[in-house]
Amino acid sequence: MLRNALRKDLLLNARHLWGIVPWFLWVAYAMTEPDAGRITAVGAAFIGSLMATTIGAREDKLRTTATLASLPVSRGTLVEARYLVAYIVGAATYLIVVVMAAGLPWSVQRAAELCELKTLLLTLTLASAAIAVLMPVVIRFGLLGVLVFLGVFQLLGVGLMVAFEFFGSRSSVGVFSAIERGIAALHAGLEQPVVILETLAIVGLAIWLSFRLSVFLAKRRDL
Amino acid sequence: MDPILELRGVTKHYPGFALRDVSFSLPRGYVCGLIGPNGAGKTTIVKMILGLVRPEGGEVRVCGDDPVYAERAVKDRIGFVHEVPAYYGHLRMGSIASIVRPFYRRWDQPLFEALVREFEIPTNTWFGSLSRGTRTKAALALALAHHADLLVLDEPTAGLDPVFRRSLLERLSAYVEDGHASVLFSTHLTSDLERMADYITFIRDGRVMFSSTREQVFDRWFIVKGDPRLLDDSIRQALAGVDVGPHAFTGLTSDPAAIRRRLAGRDAVVEAATLDDIMYYVGRSC
Repeated sequence: MLRNALRKDLLLNARHLWGIVPWFLWVAYAMTEPDAGRITAVGAAFIGSLMATTIGAREDKLRTTATLASLPVSRGTLVEARYLVAYIVGAATYLIVVVMAAGLPWSVQRAAELCELKTLLLTLTLASAAIAVLMPVVIRFGLLGVLVFLGVFQLLGVGLMVAFEFFGSRSSVGVFSAIERGIAALHAGLEQPVVILETLAIVGLAIWLSFRLSVFLAKRRDL
Repeated sequence: MDPILELRGVTKHYPGFALRDVSFSLPRGYVCGLIGPNGAGKTTIVKMILGLVRPEGGEVRVCGDDPVYAERAVKDRIGFVHEVPAYYGHLRMGSIASIVRPFYRRWDQPLFEALVREFEIPTNTWFGSLSRGTRTKAALALALAHHADLLVLDEPTAGLDPVFRRSLLERLSAYVEDGHASVLFSTHLTSDLERMADYITFIRDGRVMFSSTREQVFDRWFIVKGDPRLLDDSIRQALAGVDVGPHAFTGLTSDPAAIRRRLAGRDAVVEAATLDDIMYYVGRSC
């Protein structure tokens, strides 16, 4: 039944996933830039996962949620399929970037660099963070949830920038630099077995909690 | 025989609307018409049967199972048509069927293809481009193609032309003939049910006003028409809702014998009521 639910999500949303194509045009250009390979691949997987996570929002928009939930499949299985689709699309986009890095004649990237364990783990961590946070919101609130979620984040970002500029001891650029440095530090640390295990444990726990919450919300939601 | 569908004391509250103590049942091999005005709670009941809405109190049972806790088993036995059939607009009928088909254990592909031909559903047109009536036909083909024990149809005749509507009603009557399957038919077009329903359940403002066999409904309720000067207190009390015009009154009664006795030889008639009459006057009397 999970296979059917997975197939259903992929078939129903194949067309919408073409929306990621413009990103690959940027990827094709980025292949000419030295040192852009990693960030491009991680970004592609991150965006692919995010797009797949919003499947539920499209179902809400097209009012197909009730129809699909009327099929003989449990809501838990439908939610499970959503998580799997998000990971599958994330992995597929990452793979496409690797293939582009290896195959495009103008690429200056080394595909092997993109297949390093620490880069793969960093991608998994960032994509999982996005999926874990956004999926319960999508499951519970659908399209409105996504819009409110993104709107709140946007406002929060602007608010923080304004606050740092006017009242903080350092500029907002410093905050974003700190986030960038944090990601870079995590990437470097993912060479150590202890950090790898800790990261995997945290990612696993976050996704498990997010999944349980999503199933709970999906089961409680009146359609 | 155990009912195929049973609701016992079901409650659900929304802001400004509530289902209160909804109880009725449907035995195997019969058609039940769920009637009521718009906003009465019919669609909420249909959604509860499909497990899409959780009741706050009471029980819903389909073939003895709770749709919320045995969702897969229950929904495998139900063929459904929602009030607004919604599938992805960018898919064609064949693609939609290929998505729906694997979920059902008893999907009958030759039957589905025969239904698509019979209902004249275009297979090369995007679902989003189909008319309202054709979308309903498509949903009906999907609902009928897996030998469901229970068909749950929410306003299935809305948007259908009269010719197809009549042939659908005949098909639904034939569907229950072998005594194994049942149909729950929610509608406010009561003329459809007068032709084919075995049971009638009337919902108004979230309450069941009555639930009984069609014969019991038509044996119970009668329309009374007469000169408004005949309308004294005793006649009024025997009427469930009355309209008084300058030249005549019209009312509904569940005690035709008493009315006939009181109005014998006077300018009044007692005649069979339609479901529309019953819905209108019973609703007004509350």
